[in-house]
Amino acid sequence: MRIVSDTGLMFQRHFTQQMRNPTWLFVGISSPVLYLALFTPLLEHFTRAASTGVVLDTFFPGILALLAFASGTAQGFGTIFELRSGVVERLRVTPASRFAILVGPIASAMTFMYFFDVVAVAVAYGFGFEINWGGLLVLAVLIGVFMATVSAWSVATALTMKEIDRFASVTNGLNLPTLLLAGVLLPISFGPTWMRVVAHFDPLYYVVEGARSLGAGAFGSSEVWQAFAVLVPLCGLVLAWATSVFKKAVA
Amino acid sequence: MEAVITAEGLRKSFRHRKAVVEAVKDVSLEVGRGEIFGFLGPNGAGKTTTLRMLTTLLPIDAGTANLAGFDVTREPKQVRQRIGYVSQAGGADDMSTGWENLILQGRLYGGDLDSVRTQAKELAAVLDLTEFADRKVMTYSGGQRRRLDLALGLVHQPEVLFLDEPTTGLDPLNRANLWNHIRAIQERGLTVFLTTHYLDEADALCDRLTIMDHGSIVAEGTPRELKREVVGDSVMLGLNDDLVERASGLLRAEAFIRKIGAEDGGLRLYVDDGSAALPELLRVLDRHQIALKSISLSEPTLDDVFLQYTGRSLRDAGGLREEKV
Repeated sequence: MRIVSDTGLMFQRHFTQQMRNPTWLFVGISSPVLYLALFTPLLEHFTRAASTGVVLDTFFPGILALLAFASGTAQGFGTIFELRSGVVERLRVTPASRFAILVGPIASAMTFMYFFDVVAVAVAYGFGFEINWGGLLVLAVLIGVFMATVSAWSVATALTMKEIDRFASVTNGLNLPTLLLAGVLLPISFGPTWMRVVAHFDPLYYVVEGARSLGAGAFGSSEVWQAFAVLVPLCGLVLAWATSVFKKAVA
Repeated sequence: MEAVITAEGLRKSFRHRKAVVEAVKDVSLEVGRGEIFGFLGPNGAGKTTTLRMLTTLLPIDAGTANLAGFDVTREPKQVRQRIGYVSQAGGADDMSTGWENLILQGRLYGGDLDSVRTQAKELAAVLDLTEFADRKVMTYSGGQRRRLDLALGLVHQPEVLFLDEPTTGLDPLNRANLWNHIRAIQERGLTVFLTTHYLDEADALCDRLTIMDHGSIVAEGTPRELKREVVGDSVMLGLNDDLVERASGLLRAEAFIRKIGAEDGGLRLYVDDGSAALPELLRVLDRHQIALKSISLSEPTLDDVFLQYTGRSLRDAGGLREEKV
């Protein structure tokens, strides 16, 4: 299958290049650790929790969702660079599958994300986070779908915006409401009714809610199936849109 | 001559802040197999847009294009397999080595690893890349990088190679070097289609060229034909003032002279082909014993051609401005 080998080639290209970027690797590993080190003590105080472990059980899954979101939105910046350096054209003029050109690098970035997540889980475990293996595995699937959705959105938006400043404005403009309405760090149930209503239009909200349930091992909870019910079709739609943008990208 | 590229009535317009800009209006062309064909014109003439339509990168608004027997709109995959395209920006990966870039590109065209490796090695030898191909691209000089870009466009052994402004930003030495490499590519049997805003480049490289301005083709032919269509070659005869009148009367009768006029210090003549006209001219003057102080021949430049067809010099049209990156 041509599409599979093309995806493999694009995966390999992205993977090799990222491995040659030690700064990026360092930031990738350290940022989840920083979240844990700098945010947990605050929460501990705020929630008057019995132990660090209890705090982490509630908030750590949200941090994993947040990392998936960040790693997804970062993809578009790479796309802008590749647009300007002619890489996008160079790839688009080959007969390689447009879907493969889109998905190969996303899959590679996802692999790195999982690696950073594993480091984060290990550190959280050290702080007392209680690991529910089954829950974490399903959570890995959920944040994978979410990360693919955000990546494809980010890449397609970058191809449409073309300029780094326009793309950065759109991304930053959307980041803040997306993060605040999702209740990544502080649960949205603390907020007034209107916020809880608006949050239902934020995909990240479903991921965070699902992640908390899965972290606690509650597979059957409504938050979990709702998260998949929202994310899987959304991912399909965004991937289809992004592929079509790649097909007719005007640079 | 077998045509490898034919385009009929190509059009493309863009929407820019509600205004519609016609980037390409009704471009038709035919390129024969094995030719180096050039698009000469200032920035914004529609050269790159036309190129991007021919290479399947941009949907065609109206008109048809056929490449190596395949329709660009209906059979883009077959077209892509048969063409190479080197954009202005190049597109090699900085963080990868020359070899890695070449092998990835060959593999994306569906080649298996062994044959792609063989092909990459051969190309590296032809384009003088072997010495540095195992270094990361970020360490390359402008000329080295450009040669790698060429190799990237050739690694799948296409029939046609498209080059968008191949020497922009290179110093004179590297430009001449790249020209030699482009000629060497042609000798391997490829058709080369290039755009340029450099007159000397079009002159030095192209077998045939079209001049584009404001989205339309304004002239087409070999560089020689185009230059001759304009004014022919010009010959300056240095004469004593008292001889000018007589010489002018005599030469006016000669069929090979297209135009004649007095200038400071002698006569300016326009002829179709300077090298053929000079001996003839000297014979006539000698027969009538007109003593010549000096004689000089100058060929018209493509700038004269551009001026003739557009009413502006290419320099004024912005052709020689540095590209914004």
